Amino acid sequence: MAQFVQAVVLGVLIGGIYALMASGLTLIFGVLRIVNIAQGAFLILVATFTWWLWRTTGIDPILSAVITAPLMFGLGWVLYRFVVRRISGQAASMSVLLTFGIALVIEGFLNVVAGNKFRSATPAYFEQSFRVGDILLPKAQVYGFLAAVVVLGGLYLLLTRTWAGRAIRATSQNPSAAALVGIGATATAALAFALGSASAGVGGSILSVLYPFFPASHYDWISRLLGIVVLGGMGSLPGALVGALVLGLAETLTATYGSLQWSTLVFYLVIMAVLLVRPQGLFGARLREDVA
Amino acid sequence: MLTLENVTAGYGGGDVLQGVDLTCAPGTVTCIVGPNGAGKSTVLKVISGLLRCRTGSVSLGETRLDGLDPSRVLALGITQVPQSQALFPGMTVRENVQLGGYLIRRDRKLLAARYAAVCERIPLVASRAGDHAGNLSGGQRRMVEIARCLMLEPKLLLLDEPSLGLDPQSLAGVAGLIRSLNEGGTTMLLVEQNVRLGLGLATHGVVMEGGRVRLTGTAAAVRDNPEMAALYLGGTSAKETQRG
Ligand SMILES: Nc1ncnc2c1ncn2[C@@H]1O[C@H](COP(=O)(O)OP(=O)(O)OP(=O)(O)O)[C@@H](O)[C@H]1O
Ligand SMILES: [Mg+2]
Repeated sequence: MAQFVQAVVLGVLIGGIYALMASGLTLIFGVLRIVNIAQGAFLILVATFTWWLWRTTGIDPILSAVITAPLMFGLGWVLYRFVVRRISGQAASMSVLLTFGIALVIEGFLNVVAGNKFRSATPAYFEQSFRVGDILLPKAQVYGFLAAVVVLGGLYLLLTRTWAGRAIRATSQNPSAAALVGIGATATAALAFALGSASAGVGGSILSVLYPFFPASHYDWISRLLGIVVLGGMGSLPGALVGALVLGLAETLTATYGSLQWSTLVFYLVIMAVLLVRPQGLFGARLREDVA
Repeated sequence: MLTLENVTAGYGGGDVLQGVDLTCAPGTVTCIVGPNGAGKSTVLKVISGLLRCRTGSVSLGETRLDGLDPSRVLALGITQVPQSQALFPGMTVRENVQLGGYLIRRDRKLLAARYAAVCERIPLVASRAGDHAGNLSGGQRRMVEIARCLMLEPKLLLLDEPSLGLDPQSLAGVAGLIRSLNEGGTTMLLVEQNVRLGLGLATHGVVMEGGRVRLTGTAAAVRDNPEMAALYLGGTSAKETQRG
């Protein structure tokens, strides 16, 4: 029993972190209808930077999200303004090609400046755990989860309580109506891309402690994130949350009762099963509009 | 107040509007009628900036509108209720209507006052404020779309088939609303399939067909013009036959 509870709790912790990482992808897709294949590369870029920062200055990797998030916000904004915007309105395949290109550029850049080897930030608490009764909670996972919850909560408030957030949601639900009420398409898209990148800023800093990484790890990460977003329904934030929890639980439960190698397979089996029943994903269509 | 001169516009290949001339004098209600596909909605989209015109000009008084972004046109006091699907389905009725005041968002007091005024004019907004717009019926959505347009208290209101999907009571409500807004000084440009209703409300009528204006005049003159019936029944389109 304790083993089961341990696996579930751990699954939720990891799921929360995945949710943060996937939130950027789904936010960008919702507003821009662009699948940002570079999201995985953003994570690895930030993880590498975080690792370097930790090695040279000793700044706590997870806390350094306070630095990486604004940096990635800026990078996302610039990338949108000067690169991604050029393909707005073109076919979806263009956006996949372009963002894949950005991912390759980042990978190449990391290979040159950081070298092609595995790294991982290992602060003092790296191998320590909190003990609650019989359950062991690795500190790094707990801190990462807390950071993810804070950021996701902030994102939720931003999207529901501010005009900028309303503009983002309005554009993702009905772009032409958003234009009709005076919401600027370009500014909103730039903001969404920047916010999505900023979430990868926090996600990448957390990643640097939890998972060893090297420049090409971004392939692995983008496929996980895409799995989550497809499972939850493209463009839906609640969907990304649920999809991420399913992935987290699938991983920890399979690792506990089977073996770690099978956990990714189990997740993709879940995705296939769900998509057979609900091709639009779990949260893909809740409203009449979409069903019709 | 509003003038279109020789406007051509289209979506991809050909020109949907093939040289449209149109004027709306201040304080008037102009109603565009015409068969499906005549380009009525396209005219409204060109005015509101959703669609750029290829040649010709659109101006409001001395100000050129063609080439402006929708938000700039909006800021000049022109709002549009499009023909369909104008709401944000995942947001509440309140949020939808308040987004109509996006341009005045920094002035919270004004926004609140306008919202209260809209609730008074269109009680449905208040009674369904917390419901998701996507869960409303078609006619209820229409009312919310119209409500949203009033948040900016426009000088010129563009209404694309306001009667679409409304029951007789709501229809009377919308007709009353159009009259009272017009009495309050709002100039209006309607597109309406319900010709009797449309031309009944309007001071001026415009008949469009095949991307051109075929007939203009006072509402009564247009209604009683024998050509109108022929055009509107879609019988004249010699070009259509050629194309087919
Ligand atoms: N988004 C679009 N993309 C491509 N073509 C369009 C689009 N909207 C309209 N059209 C074309 O433009 C022409 C005029 O359409 P428009 O919507 O202006 O007609 P309408 O007079 O409003 O008709 P209705 O009475 O059916 O509303 C049609 O032939 C239509 O096929
Ligand atoms: Mg129309």
